[in-house]
Amino acid sequence: MSDTQKTASVRIQRFNPEKDHKPHFQEFTVSYTRDMTLLDALHEIKSHQDGTLTYRRSCRHAICGSCAMNVNGINMLVCNTPIKEHINRKGMVTIKPLPYLPIIKDLVVDRTKFWEQYMRVKPWLIPSPEVPEKEYRISTEEVEALNKAETCIMCGACYSACTVVGTSENYIGPHALLKSFLRVLDPRDAGAAERLEEVGTHEGAYRCHTIFNCIDACPKKLDPTKAIETLRNLAQKRLAFEDAKKKRLTTITKAVE
Amino acid sequence: MRIFQIQRVTAVALLVFMTIHMIVVHYPPFHIDFSIIVERMVNPVWKVVEILFLLSVLLHGLSGAYVVLTDYKQVSKFKKALALVVIVAGIVAFSWGTYTIISWRLPA
Amino acid sequence: MYKTTGFVSFVLRRFTGVVLVLYLLLHIWVIGSAVSGPEVFDQRLNAVQTPLFKIAEIALLAAVVYHAFDGVRLLLVNWFKVTDKRKNLFWAVFIVSALMVIAGGVPILLFMLESK
Repeated sequence: MSDTQKTASVRIQRFNPEKDHKPHFQEFTVSYTRDMTLLDALHEIKSHQDGTLTYRRSCRHAICGSCAMNVNGINMLVCNTPIKEHINRKGMVTIKPLPYLPIIKDLVVDRTKFWEQYMRVKPWLIPSPEVPEKEYRISTEEVEALNKAETCIMCGACYSACTVVGTSENYIGPHALLKSFLRVLDPRDAGAAERLEEVGTHEGAYRCHTIFNCIDACPKKLDPTKAIETLRNLAQKRLAFEDAKKKRLTTITKAVE
Repeated sequence: MRIFQIQRVTAVALLVFMTIHMIVVHYPPFHIDFSIIVERMVNPVWKVVEILFLLSVLLHGLSGAYVVLTDYKQVSKFKKALALVVIVAGIVAFSWGTYTIISWRLPA
Repeated sequence: MYKTTGFVSFVLRRFTGVVLVLYLLLHIWVIGSAVSGPEVFDQRLNAVQTPLFKIAEIALLAAVVYHAFDGVRLLLVNWFKVTDKRKNLFWAVFIVSALMVIAGGVPILLFMLESK
């Protein structure tokens, strides 16, 4: 089978804060093979056509979360996306930085707000104040329930696809709410009360309008909306949930049945 | 959280009330005038149903309007003022609507 | 704005909601004329039952129907967390709404044409 060389037009949004008033588009021509990813195309352009093209990337296999960008209007990771899947009928693919975040240069955005919202939900384990005598034992079901939330690579695709993030002042965002859900449901975590207080507000889980852009954008096929709906339910039944958690913490060092 | 709960509870209530309203008042289409409506509205059971309907729809609609407005950063600075406007509008609309419902009587 | 079916559904739900709230306040005012007696009431009501208003009524029906069915979809998501069926649910809402608007709108149109 021959690897025929085809060419595509790659239209990239450029912005140099030292020279430009506002962002503008620049087109490059790239020849591609069927295995080439969008990140490969960007590398090709930067290496051989315009060395000033600026973008974030690192692991190039969908685990670091650095290379999330907006391609033909959809957020995705460019390192694991074949370019041929996104070439339109006119032979063009358009790459822009993630929406709703301030642009630093070209395809690099300022993620400060993203990380601030993340820190709001205390994204670490808050252990029980009692020092355990034995190790914690957690069942397979409990681990599986958390699996999806644990897989998140913090790429920002969901946050910057969210319409509510784009229009509202201080919405916590699907990324942080997913992580909050992870800890709230974690049997080892004793901080459910303060977590639910932070996210069970009009800036948290109750601001989500179930638009589902986050699920569509997630490169790991995670489900922030389901997590947010669960948080909403738990915030309403807060006292009952806290009781159940306290009980679970008393049995956590016993063998799992 | 409270607004969310109000929205959901009134939504379910409205599914019932709206269905009743559509079938009883609007189907099949006919020319509506005082004499047709008054037959139904002098009945105290209908008066109660309509008052509950009015309450549900005002709660649902005005809390929804509040959420829509405070969603946008340009407007959410005036949250307290907006809440006041919405509450006042609700009280006025509910009072006037209830007064109207109670006032339905056969002409002398 | 980030364009998906979810976004379209959201915008339509918001738009119909706002329209309906404004209509509601107007409606309370119009029906409120009943306290002034049958003559005033019938006069107001005749003014809003002209053929033009009948067509607007079909638009109102569309707004109510869409908003209600999309709301039911939201309740299903809230209670049963059916996020994996989301595209199917969106299309179901659009289609059922369209069908109901036709089912309700055709009798209104016929009635309007008859009484002209």
